[in-house]
Amino acid sequence: MPGRTPEKRPEAKPAATQPQEKPAVKPSDVIVEEKVEVVQKEEKPVAEKITIGELHLSGCTGCLVTLADNYEGLFKLLDDYADLVYALTLVDVRHVPEMDVCLVEGSCCLNDKISVEELKEAREKSKVLVAYGGCAAYGNITRFCRGGQWNQPGQEAFVPISEVVDVDLYIPSCPPCPQQVRNVAVMAYLLLRGNDEQKNLATAYLTPLMQLAQRGNEACGCDLMYDVINQGLCMGCGTCAGTCPVRAITMEYGKPNVNRDLCIKCGACYAQCPRSWFNFDVMNNYEGIMDAIKGAME
Amino acid sequence: MYVFSTELCGNTSIVFRTPKYRNEAIYLSKVVEISPTTRHEGHSKLVLKVNDEGIIERGDWLSITPVRGVEKLAIGKTMEQVPKIASRVCGICPIAHTLAGIEAMEASIGCEIPEDAKLLRYILQCANRMHSHAIHNILSLPDMYIPGTDVKINPFTKEEPVRSVALRIQRLREIGQTIGEIVGGEAIHPSNPRVGGMYKNISPRAKAKIYDLAKEARVLTQEHMEFMIAVFRDFQTRGTTEVGGVEVQIPDDLGYHRQGYMATAPVYGSSSLDETPMWFPDRFTEVRPWDWYMGEVEISEADPNYPIGGTTPVGNKAWPQMEACTGVPLYDGQPVEVGPRARLVQFKNYDEKGAMGLQIARQMEFPETAYGIIDALDALDTSGSVLADEIPQGDGSFGWAANEAPRGTDVHMAKVKDGRVEYFGMLVPTTWNFPTCSRALTGAPWRLAEVIMRAYDPCVSCATHMLVIDEDKRLVAQKLIQ
Amino acid sequence: MDVLGNYKSVISARSTDKDITKKSQDGGIITTLFAYALEEGIIDGAIVAGPSDEPWKPEPMVVTTKAELLAAAGTRYTISPNLALIKEATRSYGLDRVGIVGVPCQIQAVRKAQLYPIGMRDVDDKIALALGIYCMENLPYQALEAIVEDHCNQKMESVKKMDIGKGKFTVYTERGAVSQMPLKLIHKYVQPGCNVCLDYVANLADISSGSVGSPDGWSTVFVRSMKGNAVWDGAIAAGLFETKPMDQVKPGLDLVTKLATEKITKNQKNVDARKTMGLKADGTPKGLRNPYESP
Repeated sequence: MPGRTPEKRPEAKPAATQPQEKPAVKPSDVIVEEKVEVVQKEEKPVAEKITIGELHLSGCTGCLVTLADNYEGLFKLLDDYADLVYALTLVDVRHVPEMDVCLVEGSCCLNDKISVEELKEAREKSKVLVAYGGCAAYGNITRFCRGGQWNQPGQEAFVPISEVVDVDLYIPSCPPCPQQVRNVAVMAYLLLRGNDEQKNLATAYLTPLMQLAQRGNEACGCDLMYDVINQGLCMGCGTCAGTCPVRAITMEYGKPNVNRDLCIKCGACYAQCPRSWFNFDVMNNYEGIMDAIKGAME
Repeated sequence: MYVFSTELCGNTSIVFRTPKYRNEAIYLSKVVEISPTTRHEGHSKLVLKVNDEGIIERGDWLSITPVRGVEKLAIGKTMEQVPKIASRVCGICPIAHTLAGIEAMEASIGCEIPEDAKLLRYILQCANRMHSHAIHNILSLPDMYIPGTDVKINPFTKEEPVRSVALRIQRLREIGQTIGEIVGGEAIHPSNPRVGGMYKNISPRAKAKIYDLAKEARVLTQEHMEFMIAVFRDFQTRGTTEVGGVEVQIPDDLGYHRQGYMATAPVYGSSSLDETPMWFPDRFTEVRPWDWYMGEVEISEADPNYPIGGTTPVGNKAWPQMEACTGVPLYDGQPVEVGPRARLVQFKNYDEKGAMGLQIARQMEFPETAYGIIDALDALDTSGSVLADEIPQGDGSFGWAANEAPRGTDVHMAKVKDGRVEYFGMLVPTTWNFPTCSRALTGAPWRLAEVIMRAYDPCVSCATHMLVIDEDKRLVAQKLIQ
Repeated sequence: MDVLGNYKSVISARSTDKDITKKSQDGGIITTLFAYALEEGIIDGAIVAGPSDEPWKPEPMVVTTKAELLAAAGTRYTISPNLALIKEATRSYGLDRVGIVGVPCQIQAVRKAQLYPIGMRDVDDKIALALGIYCMENLPYQALEAIVEDHCNQKMESVKKMDIGKGKFTVYTERGAVSQMPLKLIHKYVQPGCNVCLDYVANLADISSGSVGSPDGWSTVFVRSMKGNAVWDGAIAAGLFETKPMDQVKPGLDLVTKLATEKITKNQKNVDARKTMGLKADGTPKGLRNPYESP
């Protein structure tokens, strides 16, 4: 675990390539180095980073790639706001550690003991558990699983993670967006480390994503019918058609038509629809919030 | 089988005292388990029988990722939907799965697509390889050192020169992903390819933008390739490396194996619609893990300091035969290696063996990704049609398509009838590499097993598939293994 | 709630470009702003409502030149799902700086896509200019057909211009006929989703524009965001607009405020009524979904 390795001297270095001491052998060693350096930077309101981990269940790692697709911004996030303490694909830590925010990717295979145990462990050890991506939130393509395939034909029960543990927050879509997970990471940082004003902003921002987690774990293009058109709320803006990651939605005479043979059940269309939720308190302040996030990432 | 291993180790710095000892070692071998393995896609583990020197005598590398069963859930779905689902077996090489899936459908229904659609797919292929090879660098670098120093590379450090390299990696990924996004609709899980071609051609403005990006990548890939090769060469010659506080000898033949190679094209792939198909279904067989992997073993050696969190404690059990989530595909009755080196061996007379030979081969593919994009753009007509005039609905014929994914040949097979999928199979790169890499572990210090495994750029989630087994062929394969 | 939203300035304006005013609905504000933004490289292209294969049925299109822009100018009283192209514009169209025009709910969708880019990867920082148009309510295409062909007794193909103003829906045909119907009759045709809309003047746009409040041929323009302000100042400096202060034009800002208040008050009542529309077994009211409270 990061945290118990000896601290590194913060003084200026003569040459970057010169080893100064016993080389850091574990990624976590160096995470600690970064912490020390961050203290020296004064532009940040608070010095202590939050800890973020990613638990990979039955997903495709596309969600993790999405996080990495913040490109330079990934380093900014890790330099200043969050330590990545767990993610099998990116760091060597093999077992679920304590963390502030746990992003769970993939649905949970009930027939795989390790999956269920790790998920419960992640719930126990994290303050905020996020269903990150369509599979964790809604099952996505794993909703179609029905077993029968070697070498584990018994693995057929795949559920959204909220069937097994309580989930605090949803980030739907397959794949999710780098900017969305970035926004959530920055807001989680403000929520856990910020001053009162920042906490309020973060709470307001995160509320709808937390409400999504309460709403349930079934998603489909059909939501546009059930919860928007059938409810008399659709005004034909076209957002759902623009959002759908599999081009399953077209606009026909001003209303969406969902090709249900293409829909993968990722939840993007409904969550992106301005009539699924529209929180004026946050949206009316869009310019300030976008500037703040942009500023945080520079 | 074990005889091979000791022979291979004979010319290294690891000294075996006597031939007699070699034989004893087989009986006295201990079992180490590294579970889960890290810094690759998906969940896998290594079960290693090692001798007193800690040298692997037999290694089993196996997937423990739950089987989502994409091949089985595909049955009865439309030929349009199945490639969308197939894409989602892997978020690092989704383009390979989308294209192989779609082209398997096209091969089954006998649909030829317009030239401009092919060019767009070729651009996607190159863009994906650029991004995927780059992300793999981030996963490999922590095992490596800044050349000429004893400083291991943490890609997330702010220190130079690492930060500049990491930023270059991210820029290469950004270029690859952005081009993938423009041409494919989405950077991850492309939405633009479809059975019969593509939904949309790109605009002249988009073409110009891709040129700009590819031109930038042409310079960056060259620089980056040179840097990465220097890093891997440094590892080859440094003699020892530190793993969890233990200084480990690096054998000269780290990761050598005697299996063959399989590749279908330098860049793109092949399909059963080709005039000269480059992959042959008849040469393929598959055995179940039961016939290939170890039986139940008890862990008898452990290192709590192995980074980070230690290996599995002594006394636990492992049962690779039962736990493995993948089958073992064979080509001409043998496991084969697929991936960058296989492509270079087959098409460019490359001949460097071992884990570092594979890593270096991967870097050598970097510049070609940028050139490939530029060449395809030169040929692309942005006003050309990208969708076949007629898309047959299929009569149940068998078709296959092989796509050279970043990490190797990805073969999808399909039978489509009346627009619905009757049969679907995926032979994914890492599925081919599991048994081959397992062989390549023999003779290496167990603490370097993950270094060898990572050289294969494993993508385990997608590898978790298994096909039907022909009883006769299975028997043949069993004999070969014994 | 402030019914007119945040804005830096409001002004009455009309384009000085005769090519544009000839074709445009009122002051040619949107078309002129996009033409200017294209010229200056502020945007590489814009998503606008273009013609489709059916008369007066708009279809979203990406335009990258002034000529294409002019071909799309003019108001159509049925919604064009412009957001359907917002991601594609940054993909196969290759745009890095996207302009988009929309009615208030569409601008809301744009801002939601930027703040909560759930399925809108790499879109948020590419929205370079979001222009809003005032909207009281919108009609399905078939309603427009009923109004034009039945109530006004004109053929859709012959219609040259449609206009709403002074309590009337007016149809002008190619051959000079003018038909009118009272606005209050069209309410039954309004799409239901419009009845819960709480925005009249596109409060979240960079710049919003509409005819209400200004004299014929002029538009009332709200300049709202920093981005909008920069573009507006640039366009004024380039001499692209004639302007008059709002307090010197008739009917003036009061009318805009009045209509906005009317719309929002009425629709807020609709939103509230939905909360108690049904009946539970215990005799207490059962509500419909309220997008302003939770998803």
